[in-house]
Amino acid sequence: MPTDFALIGHQESWRAAADVLALLRGPDHPPIPDEEVPEILPWIPPRAVCRIEVRSVLGSTVHGLYIDSFIPPDRLGPAFLRENLGRVREAAAYASREGAKIVSLGGFSSILIEGNIDRLFEHAGAIFTTGNTLTVAFIVQGVEEMCALQGRDLRSATLLIVGATGDVGSGVARCLAQRVKRVLLHARNPERLNRLEAELRLVGVTADVAPDLAHLPARADLVICAASLASPSLLLDGIATGAIVCDAGYPKNLSSGSRGARVFSGGLGQVTAGMTFEPDIRSILYNHPAPHVLHGCLLEGIALALEGRFEAFSQGRGGITPQRVQEIEAIAARHGIHLAPVTLRRTATVN
Amino acid sequence: MELVSCLDLSSTQSATVAANRPLWQDVLAQAVTGEMIAVLNYSSLAEICTDPEEVADALEHAEGERGHAAAFAAEGAKLGIDVPNDVGAKYWKRLRAAFLHQIEARDFIGCLIIQEVMLESFAVASYKRIGKVAPGSMGTTFALIAVEEEDHIEHAMLILRAERALDARRFDEKVYALHLEVMTTLAQMLARDDKDCGCELCHGGCVKPQLPKVGLTSSELRGASLQHYLKTLDALGLPGEMTLAWVAQLPV
Repeated sequence: MPTDFALIGHQESWRAAADVLALLRGPDHPPIPDEEVPEILPWIPPRAVCRIEVRSVLGSTVHGLYIDSFIPPDRLGPAFLRENLGRVREAAAYASREGAKIVSLGGFSSILIEGNIDRLFEHAGAIFTTGNTLTVAFIVQGVEEMCALQGRDLRSATLLIVGATGDVGSGVARCLAQRVKRVLLHARNPERLNRLEAELRLVGVTADVAPDLAHLPARADLVICAASLASPSLLLDGIATGAIVCDAGYPKNLSSGSRGARVFSGGLGQVTAGMTFEPDIRSILYNHPAPHVLHGCLLEGIALALEGRFEAFSQGRGGITPQRVQEIEAIAARHGIHLAPVTLRRTATVN
Repeated sequence: MELVSCLDLSSTQSATVAANRPLWQDVLAQAVTGEMIAVLNYSSLAEICTDPEEVADALEHAEGERGHAAAFAAEGAKLGIDVPNDVGAKYWKRLRAAFLHQIEARDFIGCLIIQEVMLESFAVASYKRIGKVAPGSMGTTFALIAVEEEDHIEHAMLILRAERALDARRFDEKVYALHLEVMTTLAQMLARDDKDCGCELCHGGCVKPQLPKVGLTSSELRGASLQHYLKTLDALGLPGEMTLAWVAQLPV
C-alpha cells in the first residue's frame, strides 16, 4: 500500500504516553506502571505508531502513517531543543524511508522546525509542510463561530494575540487585524513584535504591542493564544470578564481562570467522510467529543495528499497570508475537511 | 595507593572506587559471563558452518570475545577482585539454551539473530553507558570493547539483510519468535524490580538498586539496550510499528 502522507507528532502528557504504550501492549499484558513510563518512553526511537486511512467526500482515499517522535512531555523546554530537533529529524528520516510523499509536522515538531525546515530537505523524496496555514484557517473560523455562538460582534472586539510573532500567530494577525476594533500583540521578542506592528500599520491597522502580559495596555475580550504559556494565570487574570479565549497553543493548557473566560480549543478540523486508525489511538490523540477530529497542522498534509498536491504549502516563519489561508481552506473543504465543532471547555485542563 | 597506580586515579577517586568495589565486582561478573556466553555461542556456531570462511569468522569472533572476557577480568584484578563468571547462572543459562536450540536446528540465521542482533545490542548499549561512568582504565576498557562489538556486527548485518530480502515475512516471523524467547529474558534481567533477585551472579544482594551510586540505573541500561535493538531491527528493514509493539510488550 502506498504511503501518501505521514504525520509527525508526540504525546502531550504522560497520561497519553502511558495510554499509547498500554494500547501497544495489548489486552494480554498488564499496563506499564505509570512511574515506569518516563523511564521507557524517552528511549524509543521515532517510528510509526499506527497506519491511517482518510476518505474524501469526493470518493478518493489516501493512506498514511502517524509517526511519534516520542518527545517526552516534560522535555519541551529550550534546554532540550537540540535533543528534540534530533528526534524530529529522525522522524522525518523515518517518513522518508517509508516513502511518504508529503509529511505534516504536528504540535511541537512544527514549532521546532518552522525556522529550520530546510534542514529536513536532506531526506529526499518527501515534501514537508508545517501545516500552519490550515491551523490558522481553523483558528480564524473557530473564532468567528464562537463569537457567533456567544452573540459577540467581532468588529467591536479587542483582540489579543499571544505568541503573535510566530508563524501561526502572525498568520492569525494578518487575517483578523482589520476585522476587529483594536489589536494587542504579545510576544517575547520585541524586535519581531515591532516588525509585525509595522507590517500591520501598512494595511491601516494600529496595533498595540504588549511584550509583558502583566502590563496589558487594555483588557482584551477576545484572546487567541497561539503559544503555550508557562503561566496561564498571568494571561487569564488580565483579560476582560467573560472574554472568549481560543487556546491554539501546544500543549493546550488554558482553563477558564478567575475571570470566567470562555475557553475553547482552536485549530482543530474534522474529516466529514471519516478516517480509520490502526491501531486506533484517536481517543488518546484527540480528546474531542466529535469524531474524526485532528489538528489543522496534520490535516493540511492530508488535504494536500487528497488533492494530489504534493508541495511544501507551509514553510518558514511569517509567510502565512489571508490569500494562502483561503487557498488551503478551499482545498480542505473540497474533500470534506472542515472546522471541528467548537465547544467551550467545561473543566479546567491545566497540564 | 594500589588502586591509584593501577587505574590511574586520584586518591579521592581511589577511595570512591574502593567503596564501590562490591558493585564493580557484580558489574564485571555480568560482563565476563556475557562474554563467555558469546565465546560458547561462536564456538557452537563454528560447528554448524559449512563455508570455511564462516567457520574461520566464528572462531575468530570466539577468540575476540574470550579476549574481552580476559580484559574485564584484568580490570577486576586491578581492583583486587577475582571476577566470578557463571554461564550456568539463571538468565545467562536461558540465553545460552535459546542459542543451542538454533544450533540443534542448524539454523545459522537464527544463531546470528540471537547473538548479533539481540545479545550484542544489549552488550554494546550497556558497555557504552558503563564506559562513561566506570573509573579510569575500566571505563576505557568498556568503551573500547563496545566499539569492537559494534564493528563486528556489520558483517552479520549484511548476511541478515540478504536473508530478509529473500522472504521478508518468514524472516520477520523468525525474529519475532526469537525475540519472545531472548528479549523477554534480557528484559527480565534488566527489570527494575527483580523480585526474586535470581540472577545468581551478584555476590550479595541485587546490584541494580546500587547502580545510582556510580551514576547508572538499571532503567537506563534497559532503555539504551532496547533503543539499540530497535535501531538494529530498523537497519535490517523490519517495520518500525511492528517492532515497537514487540518491545512495548516486554516485561518491565
